[in-house]
This record gives sequence, structure tokens and C-alpha cells, in this order.
Amino acid sequence: MISHHPSPETLLAHAAGTLLAGHTVVVVAHVQGCAHCQAALTRMEALGGALMEDLAPEPLAAEAFAQVLARLDEPAPKPPPPPRQTNLALPSGLRLPVALRGAQIGRWLRIGRGLRYSRVRLPWAPEQNVMLLKVAGGRKVLHHSHGGMELTQVLWGGFHDETGQYGPGDIGEADETTEHQPIADPEGCVCLASLEGGLRLPWFTRLLGW
Amino acid sequence: MTALASPPPDADALAALITQVAETRDRQAYAALFKHFAPRIMAYLRRGGMGAGEAEELTQEVMLTLWRKAGYFDPLRAGAATWLFAIVRNARIDRARRRRDATLSGAPPLEEADAAPSAESMSLVTEREAQLRSALNSLSPEQKEIVQLSFFSDTPHAAIASKLNLPLGTVKSRVRLAIAKLRILLEDPS
Ligand SMILES: [Zn+2]
Repeated sequence: MISHHPSPETLLAHAAGTLLAGHTVVVVAHVQGCAHCQAALTRMEALGGALMEDLAPEPLAAEAFAQVLARLDEPAPKPPPPPRQTNLALPSGLRLPVALRGAQIGRWLRIGRGLRYSRVRLPWAPEQNVMLLKVAGGRKVLHHSHGGMELTQVLWGGFHDETGQYGPGDIGEADETTEHQPIADPEGCVCLASLEGGLRLPWFTRLLGW
Repeated sequence: MTALASPPPDADALAALITQVAETRDRQAYAALFKHFAPRIMAYLRRGGMGAGEAEELTQEVMLTLWRKAGYFDPLRAGAATWLFAIVRNARIDRARRRRDATLSGAPPLEEADAAPSAESMSLVTEREAQLRSALNSLSPEQKEIVQLSFFSDTPHAAIASKLNLPLGTVKSRVRLAIAKLRILLEDPS
């Protein structure tokens, strides 16, 4: 049962195709497992469709249709490969979201007690700050955000904070005004997160004294 | 100049045309879809700041995708324009990605997984989208413009700010307001 969804603003930006590339990956990972957001997204896409229908049509070159007709029998291009995760030890039963197709996923790096980090590099947007996080059971992590929006999608396990319990499929949306203190569930937690702004670490940085 | 322009096909007719393309690879139905959608896709891409040549090329790719993916169109889930809008949006993002990463090729990485089958009937989808359209038309012109720019611009807030000559902060709060108004439209009726 998913109880935490992206904000309507975030979902609308995704529907419009204007969300940052890093956030897009996390939102797609959420939407693929969330019927509620799939329905909301379809309604927003209907809005986009209605707006597109309202635009004054712009003619194409006269030969455009013939050019497309000539290509109809071309074979369809192959889909990109599934996400690479060869070196990444993951809890059994956890499969990385399809949204990570084409991403380069780094090894786990231990960055503190009970805390591991894996950089998710998006070749099409390498400046984006996307990561996998593995938090050991019971670890308390302090929110400490400086930049813009952060999205955190729970892939396995869970955590809770003042805003509630987050389990697999839930997404947490925080910005510089959010103050909370998440505590990982006893079995721990694996999350996919994206942070706006340059490379930096998310809410657990104060735990490490940075 | 005697021929009268035929009226544009309505939502149900467009959905039926896509289904025809899916089921019988009907090139005449495809031609009708091309005539209706290609100039609108073109207009959408141009509004987003794309040059004419690139917009035309991408419009052709989207229309090819329509031909190939027509079998995935589910009229019980979304109307024709809704479905096509998602394809255009993904194609635009995919093009931007490919510009950055030459190793990417093929289908849009954003392609969504197959959605759960819908329990709605086609008339419900049509009705819901008609309601959406009338609600959209009930927005004030400024609000409608803000919503349009939110959808049609690569950098919506900055574009709105310069277009409407407003400070960025004001734009952000107006976008929020327009969304709040639209949220009523976008909420799950159930
Ligand atoms: Zn959701």
C-alpha cells in the first residue's frame, strides 16, 4: 500500500517533460509502481493533449508525409539494455527499477556507520545528483538540506519520520524548508534518491558531522 | 478553391483511427491521423523553442512511433490526444538525452511499463476529457497562458517570467496558484 506520492507540482512537471533529469528517474520509478499516480499522470497528460490540440496547426513541408510513409516498414529500433547492477550487492528480492535503464550504477561505498552510497550516473545528464542509499536498521539520520528539492523513493525496507511511515514504493519529497529526522526500520532501507543542485550528500550529512 | 476543408475529427473518431491502424495497418486511417496530429505536434515543438528543421524531423519520428505503437493504445485508458501527447513529450526528452549521450539509441528510455487494465468505459474517458477541456477553457486568459507555458517551455518559470515581464518569484507563486486551481480538475473523481 503506497501512501506517499510526489506533489502535484512535481507530477505536473513530469507530465510536461520539464522535470530535472535526475528527479525524472525517481518519479518514473515511483509511477511505475503506483496506480494512483499513473491515473493522476494520465489526467495531466490529458491536459497536455488538450493544450496541444488547441494550438494553431503549423504545416510541415509538402513532402513530409511521403517521407514518413516511405519509412513505415523500417524495423523498429531496439529498446535500451536493462540497468546494469553487476557489482551491487542488493537485498534478495530487490530489483532495480526499470527507470534506471541506461544508468551507470557504482559500487557501494561505505560513507559512515551503517550507511552505504552508490552513485547513479545518468550518461544523458551526468551532472545530475542521483544515488542509491543503503541504511542499516535503526539508524537515525538527520535532515540537512541546503539546495533545492530532494526526492527519495523507497525500494526496499523502510523508514519513518514525523511525516509518517515510508515503505517500498513510497516517495518522500523534501526541500530546503523540510526539517525531519528519519529513522530506518529494523531491517534497514534501500532508497533511490535525487538531489537538486551540484554533487552533495543528502539528509544524512549531519550524522557524519559534515 | 472550391473544396471545403473537412471538419477535424473528434476525439472518438481519432481513437477509432488509431485502433484501425493497430488492427489492420490501415494507411488511409494513418494518413488522416497524420493530417490531424502532425501540424499540432509541430506547433507544440516550435512553442517549446525548437527550430523548424529539428521540429519537423522529430514530428516525423513521433508519427512513426504512432504507427509502430498503435497496438499499445488503449482507448479505455486515455484519449488519442492524451496518448499522443505522452509520446511527443517522451520523444522531446529522448532527443535531449541523445544529444548528451551518443550511446543511447532506440526506444525512448522513458517508455512506461504497461499500465494495469482500466475498468473505465470509453465513453467515460471521452467524458472526462471533455470535462477537462471545458474546465481548461474556464480559466482566465492569464492563467491559461501560465498553464500553457508550463507545458510548452523547456524552462517554464524563466520563460514565463520573461514573456510576462514578471519577477521569477511572482511567476512561481502564480504557477502554484494556477496548479491549485487545476488541481480540482486533476483530482480523482472517485
Ligand atoms: Zn504515487
